[in-house]
Amino acid sequence: MRDNVNDIKTILREFFRNNFLYSSDIDSISDDASFMNEGIIDSTGVLELIDFLEERFEINIENQEVIPENLDSFNNIERFLHTKL
Amino acid sequence: MTFHHDVLKLDASKEIDRICCFISRQVDLRKKDGVVVGLSGGIDSALVSSLCVKALGKERVFGLILPERESNPISKEYAKEHAEALGLEYEIVDITRTLKAFDSYKKRDAIINSLFPDYNPSKHKIKVTLPKDLLFRDYFNFFTLRVLEDDKEIFSSRLRKGDINGIVAATDTKQRTRMIYLYYHAERLNRIVCGTTNLPEMMQGFFVKYGDGGVDIEPIAHLYKTQVYQLAREFSVPQSIIDRPPSPDTFNSQVSDEEFYFRIPYSLVDLLLFAWRNDFPKEDVCNVMDLTNDQLDRVYRDFNTKYRGTQHLRELPPTLL
Repeated sequence: MRDNVNDIKTILREFFRNNFLYSSDIDSISDDASFMNEGIIDSTGVLELIDFLEERFEINIENQEVIPENLDSFNNIERFLHTKL
Repeated sequence: MTFHHDVLKLDASKEIDRICCFISRQVDLRKKDGVVVGLSGGIDSALVSSLCVKALGKERVFGLILPERESNPISKEYAKEHAEALGLEYEIVDITRTLKAFDSYKKRDAIINSLFPDYNPSKHKIKVTLPKDLLFRDYFNFFTLRVLEDDKEIFSSRLRKGDINGIVAATDTKQRTRMIYLYYHAERLNRIVCGTTNLPEMMQGFFVKYGDGGVDIEPIAHLYKTQVYQLAREFSVPQSIIDRPPSPDTFNSQVSDEEFYFRIPYSLVDLLLFAWRNDFPKEDVCNVMDLTNDQLDRVYRDFNTKYRGTQHLRELPPTLL
């Protein structure tokens, strides 16, 4: 069953809090803050994020979709998921 | 200091003397008899071995050439040629048997087979790459497995975290196995192990923890790649080694350092990494390098991500001491 799209950011913040090395203060990261610029996601972090999004939201993410426009902030991910759900 | 294309140019003979003093002092401080150096057939180990011979004399430098079944055959030939030109004692040890005992190839191939059931190690070659064109596109760093038959790509797949972790873990046993051999000989001969990591590799984490990063000293970790080449020319390192494109020589298919890790050519890595580390005004850097602000931002973001993500490689293990 797919999660309610209104819970997306809550779900994402929980995931980031539990999985990323630099996420000790995830609550202070704004919805439009860049994960790359803030140094939150490292090179394998984005793979973990992709795995999580594909499993949790039952979607398939293509190579050309692994771009900051789709994945580099909570707002971007929410917007991207809306196109896939 | 202003930023310009020649900003990395060194006073070569002064720098060589400085590094030789460093090597000599480190050996003396530890009360050791010399050094052991892994010779890969590449420019970094060619320079390091040359520096060690100059610093200590060829009798106090022992070279180890450690190919495995997937190494490029010319690596061994170049390493051997250079070791003989330097007149240093060396040994060639094929580490394939050690890797097979650990099932390194099997473990890696099992992951590849799960993605591509038709994968056949006896007729297919593999490599792992990052997205190209860092200057022109914003991509996160994700790894793609590529399978080749007769040098033509027949399969590619973006690697999931579990898969890349498994492939990297199996592949890293190559570098860690080499570390074992280097330390065996170093301890046997009462010597220290001399590393060959250069600055871009050190700052961007392009080395294996306790693999090629498991050494006693790193005499060229302060040198940018172009500086490595500059000093290597002073030593008359064979042109074949100087002309050879830098490569991790980890997979059985040729992959460059650019494809596998840096995503931009070394000529750009060096100058932009220097600019990033020294905080030169972005406008100046863009003007000199003929880049847009967006392009520079992409590169700097990549540098920052890799630097932060690999900080643990440059630190000692935390303790409660």
